[in-house]
Formats: sequence, structure tokens, C-alpha cells
Amino acid sequence: MTATIPPTKTIAARAVQASKIYGTGDTAVHALDAIDVEFPSAEYTAIMGPSGSGKSTLLHCVAGLDSLTSGHVYLGDIDLSTLSDKDLTRVRRDRVGFVFQTFNLIPTLTAIENITLPIALAGSKPDQAWLDRIVDTVRLRDRLSHRPSELSGGQQQRVAVARALVTRPEIIFADEPTGNLDSRASAEILGFMQRAVQEFGQTIVMVTHDPISASYANRVVFLADGRIVDELRDPSADAVLGKMRKLGGE
Amino acid sequence: MWKVTFKGLAGHKLRFLLTGLAVILGVSFISGTLVLTATIQKTFDDLFADINRGTDAAVRAHEVFSDFGGAQRPNIPASLLAIVRQTPTVEAEVGNIQAFAQVVDKHGKPIGGNGPPTFGLGWDPNPKLNPFHLVVGDPPRADDQIVLDKHTADTGNFHVGDEVTVLTSRAPRKYKLVGIARFGTVDSLAGASITLFTPREMQRVANVKNQFSQISVVAKPGVSQTQVASDIARTLAAHGKSQYEVITGKALTKETQNTVHKALGFITTALLVFAFVALIVGMFIIYNTFSIVVAQRMREMALLRAIGATQRQVLGSVIGESVVVGLLASAIGVAAGVGLSIGLKGLMNALGFGIPGNGVVLRPIAVIVGLLVGSIVTIVSATIPARQAARVPPIAAMRAVALERPINRVRRVGIGGAIVALGIALLLSGLFGGRGLLFVGVGALLALVGVFVLSPLFARALARVIGGPLTRFRGIVGSLSRENAARNPRRTATTGAAVMIAVSLVGFITIFAASANASIGSAIDQQLKTDYIVTVKGSGGNPGLSGISPELAKRIAALPEVQSSTPIRFGEVAVAGSHTFVLAADPKEIAQMYDFGAVTGSITDLTPNGIAVSTRKASSKHLKLGDLVPVKYVKTGVVPLRVQFIYKNNGLVGDYMISLANYERNFAQQLDFQIFAKLKPGVSAAQGRKAIEPVVARYPNAQLKDNAQYKADQKSQVNQVLILVYVLLFLAVIIAFIGIVNTMTLSIYERTREIGLLRAVGASRRQVRSMVRWEATIIALFGTVLGLLMALFFAWAVVRALHDQGFTKFSAAPIRLVIIVVVTALATLLWASLPARRAAKLDVLRAIDQD
Ligand SMILES: Nc1ncnc2c1ncn2[C@@H]1O[C@H](COP(=O)(O)OP(=O)(O)OP(=O)(O)O)[C@@H](O)[C@H]1O
Ligand SMILES: [Mg+2]
Repeated sequence: MTATIPPTKTIAARAVQASKIYGTGDTAVHALDAIDVEFPSAEYTAIMGPSGSGKSTLLHCVAGLDSLTSGHVYLGDIDLSTLSDKDLTRVRRDRVGFVFQTFNLIPTLTAIENITLPIALAGSKPDQAWLDRIVDTVRLRDRLSHRPSELSGGQQQRVAVARALVTRPEIIFADEPTGNLDSRASAEILGFMQRAVQEFGQTIVMVTHDPISASYANRVVFLADGRIVDELRDPSADAVLGKMRKLGGE
Repeated sequence: MWKVTFKGLAGHKLRFLLTGLAVILGVSFISGTLVLTATIQKTFDDLFADINRGTDAAVRAHEVFSDFGGAQRPNIPASLLAIVRQTPTVEAEVGNIQAFAQVVDKHGKPIGGNGPPTFGLGWDPNPKLNPFHLVVGDPPRADDQIVLDKHTADTGNFHVGDEVTVLTSRAPRKYKLVGIARFGTVDSLAGASITLFTPREMQRVANVKNQFSQISVVAKPGVSQTQVASDIARTLAAHGKSQYEVITGKALTKETQNTVHKALGFITTALLVFAFVALIVGMFIIYNTFSIVVAQRMREMALLRAIGATQRQVLGSVIGESVVVGLLASAIGVAAGVGLSIGLKGLMNALGFGIPGNGVVLRPIAVIVGLLVGSIVTIVSATIPARQAARVPPIAAMRAVALERPINRVRRVGIGGAIVALGIALLLSGLFGGRGLLFVGVGALLALVGVFVLSPLFARALARVIGGPLTRFRGIVGSLSRENAARNPRRTATTGAAVMIAVSLVGFITIFAASANASIGSAIDQQLKTDYIVTVKGSGGNPGLSGISPELAKRIAALPEVQSSTPIRFGEVAVAGSHTFVLAADPKEIAQMYDFGAVTGSITDLTPNGIAVSTRKASSKHLKLGDLVPVKYVKTGVVPLRVQFIYKNNGLVGDYMISLANYERNFAQQLDFQIFAKLKPGVSAAQGRKAIEPVVARYPNAQLKDNAQYKADQKSQVNQVLILVYVLLFLAVIIAFIGIVNTMTLSIYERTREIGLLRAVGASRRQVRSMVRWEATIIALFGTVLGLLMALFFAWAVVRALHDQGFTKFSAAPIRLVIIVVVTALATLLWASLPARRAAKLDVLRAIDQD
């Protein structure tokens, strides 16, 4: 099944017949099996599915961190499969933001240095007004000069979210960004991401296992065995849970 | 547990390869030295055994004193030959003498003189006693005929029938080459250049009348060597000549071999010292590698402990790794050492030191020492980290991060400070308390170790200071490098320590040489009032063994343009029982050309029965003007000389001076080491040169220099030694650099995720490479800065200690030190490309996914 969206919206990223196969012959694993999916701008998409269904693989491929075995991924108009490592790096730096589950920050850099890292790597100066706004949004003003080891897990993830926002990327990818946090800290992070979508028109794609997390999104895409099997708009936690049960396993 | 050991090794091939490399290089230097010297020794043992085969006994004078080249003895009268002949058990006897002689090639260039000796010998008519065998031609029968050794003939492209100019203590003379001979089984004796004259001509060449240095004897058939020796001794005693020494041919061979062993032992020790320096640097690398590996495997260790492994088992597994690495690397090192010795032998032959024969001599000792030293160094270096590993509490397995032990500041300051203090105390007592070189060496090593112990305390701060400018010029990549270099003070300190030791030695020798040059330069500028100096060509200014014919000095003195001139000669004597060098010059003449500074008396007071003494020796030997001091000469024995002049020693003229007349009376060989000359007022330098140059040109081993050229020449001699030491230290430097790459490789492995994250958020490969390279450079510079500070201190102390021996100037050689820093930085940037490329090639995804 193909996940579609209303035709009026612009598309931030999309995958076309995207396949990813690990290994060959008998041991070959179809992590992604000819997937077609679109992520519209200014939308918050959650990706769900059983463990091993290919969520991370999809995220990595669309984000330009990994390459497909066949098919195409587009970021805006750019076909990522045609880019060199150098160009892919630039795309990641300028047009994409990342939030990982753990180990999001460079331990030797302070919070503010971590936030502005992509800009520094590009050799440019941050837009101070925008930076202030992000820092205030994630409420880190009093922690800016701390190193990651001096921050709590929740604070570290907030720094990661701020870093993802700082370049005003076309799209932010988050792989289980709250997987290691308690419910209160999770709610905070998810709230920030939701605000980013609503207030700044940010596009976010987030992998999650948690129906409550998924309920923050505008849309949930369900994956199983490397294929998109279902989709839900404006989901509630209960509805997501129901779908997941149907997919089995959980 | 052995399984864990081997898994540990297999899992981290690169790091163990690099660690192993440090051991391999050090061990190969040690084994190579041992194999090479054993080979040279064997060659000479065989050669001398072969040469002396026909000699059953030898008669000679007793040893007066011995130097590095062997015993020094006076000549014996030729009349002894007739007495020896009266011994019934003697079948044949022949006397010979040796003296300086140097062949000039067809282009007017003297052959040899840059190491191996050049000398003349009489041709022994008795084939049993003559070590030379003619290859072509005939023996010299007339006094204007000579035979050359094959090596010299080949070098000069001489053929039988050619005219050959030979330099001796007389004016250069042309001889007819009548034959070419091999020495024993070889073309030349270790590169020595030997001219063979008729026995009568040889007496003239040696400037003696009816004298020999030795009489060689062949016994009648069936008479043993001991028998004939004691018979000769009895005959001599019967003629009242019991003051001469008679030894057997075997004893003579043994003695010659021992002389070679002694000289070789000196070289072996010098080379081994450098090998050990390299190994000590290597120890830091091994220690560091195992420390990092253990730190990275803390959790694995803790897990092992949690599932029931004892402390001893964990200790055993790490030590086990070090045993395997140590043995393997040492074995490879020994093999590489054999290869190295073959290469070095070839190199030495190419440089003119003829070491004949194929292959090398591999004694068990070279293998055993190599294996033992390599393994012990590895195991000892791994023990400390292993013990730390064993102490990991099982609970650490449960913790997310295996925390590094915090640095115990108080303890570290205490221990490190104590080691530094002890080291400096030893160093200073060695230098100023006269306790010798061993104290200096051990003291310096301790001081370095102490600084190493202290360095983690300031490694973070210093690394940040060094990396400071980077942040400005390299932006975020610069600060990442800087912080990475600062984040692990212990690791930076250990890696830096290896660099520190290597650089401290390089820096020390650099500053020391610069100070030597500055001191020589200032002495020449201030003391020397000559216009021209004639010196011996090549580095063979070997006082006593070679030199310029005194004829040249006479001709220069006779020139109308020259106001004053004197030959300068050197000789070995024992003054009041201590073996030393003495310089000879014409007192009236040298007074015009040399400023002796603060003095008692005047150099012009020096008579043929007097001696001039430096202030240093005058005070240490309690000598004052007018005292009689016993001076022992090889030729004439003990002669009491009166102290007639006390001068300040500045390195140019040494501690003792005698007049030329005294020298001529008491030394067998008369060869000039230098000639000083001063022009008449009104004669320009150019006119002077025009007058002197053609005279000097007739003596091909002499060359004319003005003061500036002379100064440059002296400096270039210092610089030659400097370069030799640089070459020998190169290995230690290489090992230190291996250490940097090793550390970087391990750190990158440890920071895989971090680098993956950087790449994910937009760091380009180039940026990652640059980050790694600059981190390596900061660590290298950390070691370099410490090393140079230590070098400054060491050199300053040594130069201070040698002040009275002419080291009047301390020069920190700032430009050269800056060059060392720049070269270190550039070399690290380049060399760190290896780990940098590895880091840049890390798969972003795998880096992120790693758990
Ligand atoms: N590097 C790899 N080599 C081989 N197979 C891989 C590799 N990475 C992922 N796979 C396989 O691809 C499939 C999809 O993996 P992926 O990590 O995308 O799953 P996921 O949906 O993110 O699971 P989880 O919820 O556990 O994170 C799995 O079967 C996995 O075993
Ligand atoms: Mg996943």
C-alpha cells in the first residue's frame, strides 16, 4: 500500500520504489522492499512498526546516511542517490537535522557549541535571533556552557533538538528520540518538536515504538517486513495501539 | 583465559602491529649492532690469526702507555737483530717499522685519511713473516720503488710501472710502483692504505736510524713458540738487553685481536646506548597501548570478573597478550637486525672500511639478548596497566561508562617531584662532582621520567595552550582537536613522553653543538691573530698518525711575505702520571699569533726544558711557576720539565704546551698538525695567499685557510658529529612518532560513535581528517615543548660543567629549536594522515548504530 497525502502540500522528502537488501542469496534480508512514501512539508510524521521492520533503515536512507540497493530518495528536488559523499555531507549539514536515541552530543563541546555545531562546521555564523528563540523554546538558557556529562538525559536530548533546529533544515529525522527518557522528559521533548512543526513550520519524521509519542504526530506510517502496511492521520494513542496490535507482535 | 588472550590480540591487529613495531625497531637495532660487531670481530680475528701465522715470537720494547689504538712503545735498536740471531732455536728474524705515508692519486688528491689509517711499512724479504702476497709485479728492490696494497692501487687506478707520489714526514717524493700486494687474504686491512718500501727507505720514511718497532722471529722446525721465546729472552739477557719484551706469536695475535675487540667494544657500547634509548621510548608506547586497550576493555574485564574470573586470571590474560606480542615482535626484531647488519656491512664497505667475507656472524648472544630485552621491555610495560585491569571491580560491568581513575594529585606531585629531584641531583653530581657519565645519563633519564610522572597534571592545560591558536585559525575543527588532545591527560602525557625523550636528546645535541660552535667561534675570533692556517685535508687530522711534512712549514717561514709562522704538533704524554695530549709550537712565533689571555709568565719564556700549563690543570695538579713536573714520553721516558707559563685554556690549545725543540727531542715521528702564519705589515691578504698557496699546493694533503675558513672548517667538524648523532637518534624519533599514530588509532576506535555523529551532522571527511591530524600535532608539540625545555636544561648544565674546557659560550640555538618544532609539527601532520584517513573512512551508519 502507498501512503499518500493531499496534492496541495509541498513534499519535503520522498522515497520511490526504495529497496534495501542486506546480504545475498539465502541470507539476504529485505530491510526495505520497494517502498513509496512521501513526507510533506510542515508535517510531523511518525514511523512505527515491529522491531526489525526497517524503520531505522528507511530513516537513514531518506536522510542520506545510507544508500539504497535500488530506487530513489528525493530531498526536495535532489535525488540523493546521485550525490557524492561530499555533497551528501553538505546536504546533511545544511538541509537535514538529526536527533538520535542516545549519544547525540560531542562530549568535549559545551551545550551551545553542540547546538551550533552544524553552523560552525559550515564555517558560518549563527543567526543570533533565531538561536535565542530556539534556546528559549527548549529552555536551555542557563545550561549553555555545560558539557554533556553535566546535563541530564532529558537536557541532552533538548540540546539535540535545538541542534537539529538551528540550521532551519528542510527536514528533521529523529530515531526514537525519547527512547531513553522517562515519560515527563519525553513529553517535554515531544512537545518541543510539535511546537517546531506548528510555530516554525518544521518538517519532522520520527521513528518511535511508543503509541503516546506517535500521538504527537500529524500522521503515523506503519511498517512491517520492509513494506508500508498502514497509515493513520491525526492519531490518538489508542488508535495507534489498536493498529499495532493488528500488525501483531506487540 | 588463553582463549581470551588470543581473541584480544586477533581483534585488534593494527594496534598490536604498531606496538609490535616499536619493539621490532628497538630489538633490530640491538641485534643488528651485536651481529655487525661480531662479524667485524670475527673478520679481524681470522685476519690477524692468518697474518701472524708465520710469526713464532716477537721482540719489542715494553709498553709505555696504552691508548684506544693499542699500546704505545718506543722503537728498538736494529742491533738487537744480530743478538736475536745468535739464539740457536731461531731460524729467521726480521725487523720492521711503521710510519705515516700517504699516496697521492693521479689528480693530486691524497688517498684515504678519512678514517682508516694510511702508513708505510718495510717489505719483509722473508715470506713466512711478510703478511703481504704480491698479486702482480716484484718486491721493491731499489729505494725509489714501492709496492701498494691492492685496495689503494685500485682506488688510485695505479698499475705496475706507474709513478706514484707519496707523502711522508719528508718532502713529497715520487716512487715507481713495482708491485701490487694483497694483505693476507684480503685487498686491504680494513680500508687502511699501506705503502711498502725497501727496509732501508722505510728507515728514512720513519725518520729513524737503525731502529725497528718490532723484530719478528721464525723458530727452527720442531721448536715450540714458548721455547723459542724463552730462548730469545735468555740470549737478550746474556747480552744485557733484558729490558726488551719477548712474546710468542700466539700472544701477539691475541693481543692484536684484543685491541680490535676493545675498539669494537667502544663502538658497540655507543650503538647499544642509542638502541636502548629507542627501546625506552618504545616502552612508553607499549605502556600506553596496553593502558588504552585495558581502559577500552574495562567492561569486558569487569564482566569476566563478574562471571567468576579471579584477579589473577584477568592479570594473566593481559600479561599473556604482552608475552605473545613481546616474543613475536622480538623474534621479528632479531631477524630484522640480521638484515640490518648485512645492510650496514655493505654501507661500511661502500664507505671504504673493507670488511671482507660474505655473510654475517650470528652468535646465540645476539638472538638471546634481542629476545630477552624485547620481551622483558614489553612485559614490564604491560604490567602496570594489567594490574589496573585486574583491580576492576565486577560492578563496573554494570555501569554505563567505565570511568577513568581520577588523578591523585598529591601523590603524583610527591612521587614525580621526588624522581625529578633525584634525577637532577644525580645529573649535577655527575657533571660537577666528577662522578662521570653514568651518573649524568641515569640522572637525565630519571629527570625525564619524573617529568613524565608529573605531566598528566598539566597536560590538559598545556595542550589547550598549544592548541589555542588552532581555535582561531581552524574554527570548530580546531577546538575539537584541542579538546580531544586535552580530554585525556594521561594518554596525552604518555604519548607526549615518548616524543619528549626523543626530542630532548635531539634538542640537547643541537644546543650542545651550537654552544660548541659559538665557543670555538669566539675563541678563534678572540685568541687567534693569524692570517693563515694550514691544516690537514680530510677529517684525518689524526694527531701523531698523520700530518704534514715539516718541510712545508720551513718553506712558508722562508717566504718574504710571512712575518711569523710556526708548526703546531700534537703528541701523547703522561704528565705527572696522567695520560694526556700535549701541543708543541715555536714559543717566540706563536706569541705573535695567539692571545693566551690572563696568564702567569709569558709564552716566550718557554724553553726546550719547560712546559706551559693551563690554569685548570695548574690548580688541579697544584702546579705553580717554577715547579718541576715529570713528563713521560714514549720515546725518551720520563723527563722533568719546569712549569714556565700558565695560561687560560679556551679549547683551542688544550691543557699542556711544549716548545718545538722539546717535541723534536722527545717524539719519534715529526709531522705537523697545523701551521700558523702571520703576514708582514703592509702585505695584503690577497698577496699573502698568492705567495703561500703555490707552496702549499706542493703538499697535496695540506690546505690553506684564512681565519674565517678555518672557523667554518671547525664548525663543520662539529656539525658532522651532530649529524651522526641525529642519524643514531632517528630511530627513537621514529618510534615516538609510531606512538602518536598508535594513540590516535586507539582513540579513533574509541570515538567511533562520536566521529559518526560529527559526520551525520555535517562534518566532511576533510574536516574529520583535519581534526585527527591537528590533535596528533598538539600531542606531538606537547612532547616537543617539554623535550626542548629539558634539552635546554641538560645542555645548559653540561656546557656549564665544561666551561673550563673551552665551552665558554652557551647558545640556545633558537632558530634550530624553532625548526625542530616546525619539523615536528609538519611531520606529525603528514604522518597522522594514516589514522586521519581511517577516521574519515569510518562508516557513518555503523558508527551511529554501535552500542
Ligand atoms: N548492517 C546490517 N547488516 C545486515 N542486516 C541489517 C543491517 N542493518 C539492519 N539489518 C537488518 O535489516 C532489518 C531492518 O533493520 P532496522 O534497523 O531498520 O529495523 P528497525 O525497524 O529499526 O528495528 P528496531 O525497532 O529494533 O530498531 C533487520 O532485519 C535487520 O536485521
Ligand atoms: Mg531502529
